[in-house]
Amino acid sequence: MKDINRRDFLKTAAIGVSMSVFGTKFLKASDESPSGYRIGILVDTDVCVGCRHCEWACKVAHNIPTASLESYSDNSLFKEYRRLDAASLTVVNEFENEKNPSLPVYVKKQCMHCEKPACVSACIVGALSKLEDGSVVWDTKKCIGCRYCMVACQFQIPTFDYDKPIDPQIRKCDLCYDRRKTEKLPACVSICPTEALLFGERDEILRVAKNRIKRKPDVYINHIYGEQEIGGTTWMYIASKSFDNLKMPPLGNSPAPGTSESIQHGIFAYFVPPVTLYAILGTIMWLTKRRSNENKENRIEFEQEKKGVDT
Amino acid sequence: MIFCILAISILFSQRVTHNYSGAGEEQVGRDIKIKPLKNHLNTSLKCKTCHISEYPTLKDPGLMSCPRHSMYGEFPSSEEGPEVVVIDEMSENYTGVVFYHRLHSEMSEMGVGCTDCHHFNTSGPVINCRECHSNVRYRENVSVPDLKAAFHRQCISCHKQWSHENGCSSQCHLYNTPENQKNLTKDLTGKKHPKRTEPTKIIYEINCEYGNKVTFYHDEHVNLFRIECVQCHSSDRCVKCHDKKIKLSDNSKTAKIEKSFEEHHKPCFNCHKENACQKCHAGKEMARFNHGKSTGWILKSYHNRLSCMKCHKNQMPVKRLDRNCNTCHKDFVYGKFDHNKTGLFLSDSHKNIECINCHDKNDFTKNPECKMCHNDKFHPAHLPGKKRY
Repeated sequence: MKDINRRDFLKTAAIGVSMSVFGTKFLKASDESPSGYRIGILVDTDVCVGCRHCEWACKVAHNIPTASLESYSDNSLFKEYRRLDAASLTVVNEFENEKNPSLPVYVKKQCMHCEKPACVSACIVGALSKLEDGSVVWDTKKCIGCRYCMVACQFQIPTFDYDKPIDPQIRKCDLCYDRRKTEKLPACVSICPTEALLFGERDEILRVAKNRIKRKPDVYINHIYGEQEIGGTTWMYIASKSFDNLKMPPLGNSPAPGTSESIQHGIFAYFVPPVTLYAILGTIMWLTKRRSNENKENRIEFEQEKKGVDT
Repeated sequence: MIFCILAISILFSQRVTHNYSGAGEEQVGRDIKIKPLKNHLNTSLKCKTCHISEYPTLKDPGLMSCPRHSMYGEFPSSEEGPEVVVIDEMSENYTGVVFYHRLHSEMSEMGVGCTDCHHFNTSGPVINCRECHSNVRYRENVSVPDLKAAFHRQCISCHKQWSHENGCSSQCHLYNTPENQKNLTKDLTGKKHPKRTEPTKIIYEINCEYGNKVTFYHDEHVNLFRIECVQCHSSDRCVKCHDKKIKLSDNSKTAKIEKSFEEHHKPCFNCHKENACQKCHAGKEMARFNHGKSTGWILKSYHNRLSCMKCHKNQMPVKRLDRNCNTCHKDFVYGKFDHNKTGLFLSDSHKNIECINCHDKNDFTKNPECKMCHNDKFHPAHLPGKKRY
């Protein structure tokens, strides 16, 4: 009875492990991007006026308690660089404009919705997933709060409810998943007075961005942040000054999960490490056993010889 | 190169529609209906300003796609334009705005002019914003901003600094009821922008190896050289004069904007292309422009009253002309020449004698002589006719 139980256990374990290995295939972020409609949002920092209405609209859309819209006209907040937190999924920061100090540059920050997201790759329970339209969303029910996504994200976007002792959640921009179900634009895009946030198909948005740079070469630098960065992002930026000075991390063009996943899905695929490990261990065991057997036989022979000599 | 041309041609072929609908009405690009200018053949416009096709016809005018970078537009003066405009295009969603059009149009005269807001407006009537800017944000064609953005961009691009202070409803979105709108309109009627003062002379004092003084005669550039304000002031924004951060107690009300070498010299370099710093940078204040001193050709009576462009045909910078009368006066040839044009109406006895009899060796730059016929008469005491000018 005991033997059968042990075999059953191994069987289910093997199925479980193999499922988890093949399961990661669906979450694999470094795969080729699926074709079809991809959302693109262009942040034109030259057009943004820093009204912070997007911050207000975001909170309202995500049921986060907030003050009235009028209170957002207070611009003393801009004195300090602000980061995202669990209660603000997007923030606007002010940067100096050397060309005209009286008109500063404003940069909105939120999840970039990478084409090949590192957070999705890092999530061990598959709570985060990349949708067909390009948005990166997460499932609160699956999340175990390991915060691996926070470490993996190059833009330091996902935030954690540190204030909540019970059932804290990971939070980030979800491109207004619920609003888009009813054919509505994300709240920030919808409220923006100057359409500094331009929503459309990614290719079309890129075309518009390139056109704007071409039409105003003395205003914009020739760089669309997010077009190529870490394999491309859904949110893209154009600006009048270098993105390094706007606290946008300088990143290469290769997707972040590329290296880690090639190791994970290469070396670790198809039970290679455990099989190798057990094979080596087995060989060692077998060799030790053979040696001890040989020793035993030798000893027996020796003893027999000894006995023979004695007799 | 070929690829580039191909790409452009494809772009145009996609965006330009030559649908002809009704008499004298074309559809350009989007659903903009533009009537062609009456008698537009007689205007100074070049055909290529509007037409792409070599042989435009009434049915297929082959117009350029709109919007495009530079467009010709004719606008009424600020007095002729509307005084107050009520913007309530999207009143179902937003509180309307009572916009004081005249004040803004007066201010715009300093800079880019009407086209600063009425961009891409072709000849003919002023096109309503909604003709190009859709009032739906979630739309397919995102190359043109939506109506909400179009309005806000026009306003906030200048009012950027002030928009923060009290929120939307305290500055612009004041009008909610028709009564309120009436009151606001009444309040604004008759207001005028204070007259812009134009400097006559500015002396810039700077640290420069070529000389620390640059004398700039503003009135000369405006009145004599007839340079349009826009040519130098194109990049000036309202904040140049209206900067709230500068206290009124300060002597200068204008904001100082850090400019690079290129930006600072750009207005001058438009015309003064020669790489001669000493022409402007000197140790002392420089004298006004004098045609005689600078070129050696002293302008007298008639020529003195002409604008520069009358002789130096092309735009600034002007080109040096030779001194032959025929260069400008093409009809000044023997037989055809009408002496009355010089202002001296010859008497009947002098009308039919040859030029060379008075003008020695046909040199018209020198004073004429009477000694060929008269011993007792001299120029200019005795004239061979009557002077009219």
